[in-house]
Amino acid sequence: MLAAAREVQIPVLALLLLGACAAKLIRVLRARSVAMALGPTALFPLRLQRTVAKVMCAAEMSLGIALLGTAGRLGSGMVATAVRTGAVLLFVTAVGALIEVRQRRPDVGCGCFGDLSSTPVNARTIARAVLLALAAAATIGVPPVRLPPPGGALTLRLGLLGAEFLVIATLSPELSEALVRLGYSEPCELRIIPVERTLAALHASRTWRRHAPVLTGSHPVDMWRELCWRYLVYPGSYGGREVEVVFAVYLRTRRPHVRAAVVDAVTGEALPSPHTLPPPGPHLVARPLPPHAVGMWPTITRPATASQPASSALQPPSGPAQPGMQPGTPRLLPAPTVFDAPELPDFESALPDSLYKLLALSTSVTRELNTSAEAVANARLRGSLNSPQDVRPQGRTANPG
Amino acid sequence: MRDPPEGRADGGAVTPAVISPAQIVSGARIARRYLLKSAVFGRPPWNEGGDKDPLASHTVTTGLLAPLPRAVTGVVLDASPQILVIGNGGTEERFALTADASAWRGAKTDPAAIRAGDQAVVRRHNASREVADRIWANIGRVSGTIIERNRDTFLVDCGSRGQQALVMPHTATGKIQVRFPRLEPGYLIDIIGVRRDGYLEGLVPATYQPPYRADHVPAPPLINGHLPVSIQGSAVWHEPGGEPRGLTGLAYPAVDPHSDATTASPAPAGQASGCVSLPYLSIGSLLRVRNDCTEACRVLPVTGSAALATLFCDRSVTCGPSPRGRIADLTLASFVELGGELHEGCFNATIEIEG
Repeated sequence: MLAAAREVQIPVLALLLLGACAAKLIRVLRARSVAMALGPTALFPLRLQRTVAKVMCAAEMSLGIALLGTAGRLGSGMVATAVRTGAVLLFVTAVGALIEVRQRRPDVGCGCFGDLSSTPVNARTIARAVLLALAAAATIGVPPVRLPPPGGALTLRLGLLGAEFLVIATLSPELSEALVRLGYSEPCELRIIPVERTLAALHASRTWRRHAPVLTGSHPVDMWRELCWRYLVYPGSYGGREVEVVFAVYLRTRRPHVRAAVVDAVTGEALPSPHTLPPPGPHLVARPLPPHAVGMWPTITRPATASQPASSALQPPSGPAQPGMQPGTPRLLPAPTVFDAPELPDFESALPDSLYKLLALSTSVTRELNTSAEAVANARLRGSLNSPQDVRPQGRTANPG
Repeated sequence: MRDPPEGRADGGAVTPAVISPAQIVSGARIARRYLLKSAVFGRPPWNEGGDKDPLASHTVTTGLLAPLPRAVTGVVLDASPQILVIGNGGTEERFALTADASAWRGAKTDPAAIRAGDQAVVRRHNASREVADRIWANIGRVSGTIIERNRDTFLVDCGSRGQQALVMPHTATGKIQVRFPRLEPGYLIDIIGVRRDGYLEGLVPATYQPPYRADHVPAPPLINGHLPVSIQGSAVWHEPGGEPRGLTGLAYPAVDPHSDATTASPAPAGQASGCVSLPYLSIGSLLRVRNDCTEACRVLPVTGSAALATLFCDRSVTCGPSPRGRIADLTLASFVELGGELHEGCFNATIEIEG
């Protein structure tokens, strides 16, 4: 059993040395620089780090190949002993270097297996190096290894091989990193999805079809992304008002979720979604909306008071409420509002420095009725209302994420 | 009868329509983004009916950011041992100088060293708005990749801010080389100093030099599932450049290049996503930035792209080591407002994206 355990160490050490060298080479090739090597090289002066990294990788590769080459009859005797002594020296040096790295550069990984070894050096890493040094010492004096015939001897060696790899895996912080990479799924916040794909998914969605009658333009006037959602804004017309229809498309490659809202282009008020409105009846078809008294930005000369919203001037009609609508609100689109702080004379020419100010302007403040024409129009509307059905702006839903 | 929008289901094949860049960069458009997003998802709980955010130290009343009152930038109009007058455009502001006030003008100095004509950043005193607490005069910063070196003069690629000249006086070279041993083309540099005509006189290293070349940035650790709600790292500041002085906001390292094609700087060649995974955002997105050293917290809008910040996998050690990576590149006013010391270059920060 002991002899079998000593024999098994040779392929284990050879595989680990070759694997470590290959991982380092992959890292260097990816970075196109030897200076990217991590671990104990960080202890050396700057001008020596490249050389040390090259020597370390070359030593691992040559020792790994030599261990395999001298395991059988070829090269047995002094050559095999020299190679295995070299392996012992390498691992003993590694133990010392890891202890030094842990003390002087606690933020640096051991770099044993390239990118996978970015976890700072800890007791497990040092214990693994000690175990490998002992394993290398155990190989000195092992006679030439032969492949045993199938049966108990082979099973014993395979069992020992598996057990040793299990112990090494337990001591290796690289294992968890490797498993993460195997089962990695990119967070949606980092997912790169072309705009064209987002647009195609939007146009194929039911939400798009429901809002299509409102849209007046085929190209989005604004588009941006936040976290897992891409937002697209289209111009539209709704109940005689200029509106903006904003779509939020979840950034997923297949069948993304799409949400939408209709917003008054002037007041910024959220309006009911077109498909939530009741079918047009005789009392609603030709009903004029209150005149748009807000006008263009520069024409506003005084801030509005928010004491009495225009919609509150309308008495809620009596009668049964429709499902999904709350009693107490008029069956009208929300009244026009004006913004507080209308001093900006030329909104479009606003420079990025006024982003802060512009954000302030985005919050709407309901205003009072301030024109006689508007009061007359609303009085007529109040008189014509004979149904309690009311419409609320589109309800708010869950936050994005 | 309106023309049907392209890509309608009943309109045959879907034709992707791409927004024109001129439409994207409109300031008014950007300002409406928060409002439009709120229409789809509702306003976040912290912003409904006032400030309900325990972390925020300012009042949010209208969906917006409260003014940032503590930082003032401008030109020194008059400086005397007791009074400092700062002019900004057509306005001027007077500050009393007390014995506690400190100044920086290439080095820590007495406020009396400030001269008329200096470009100054003033932080008001906690107790009184008319008392100056800190004054930085003519402070500048060059952060980027060394392109060329001619003895003590360096040409540095600062990404979207173009190329800048940096001159290191002999007295400062030794101190800088302790932290920046590789002053060669291809390596990163980040130096704070005094702004002169056409160049920066580099005096103080702003960080430790990353050991890799600028085109060999390490990849960030892999994250499964969703990114964490709050992300920690280092917050730095940048000079105004083309921005107006006094602008509050931050340049964000991960501005979505697809959506903000004209405002987001393309990532430098060979650059990975940086050593910290940041979610994609856009110009106008709101971020809550907290200075972990002073506990000051503000909600700030993204006003630009900081692609260059992804090259720096460094830490802030202002109050203990922060995780690696730069997560926010603040404007001068925002950095000062959050309690940062400009001559230190960075502070430990936590950001949260306001949904």
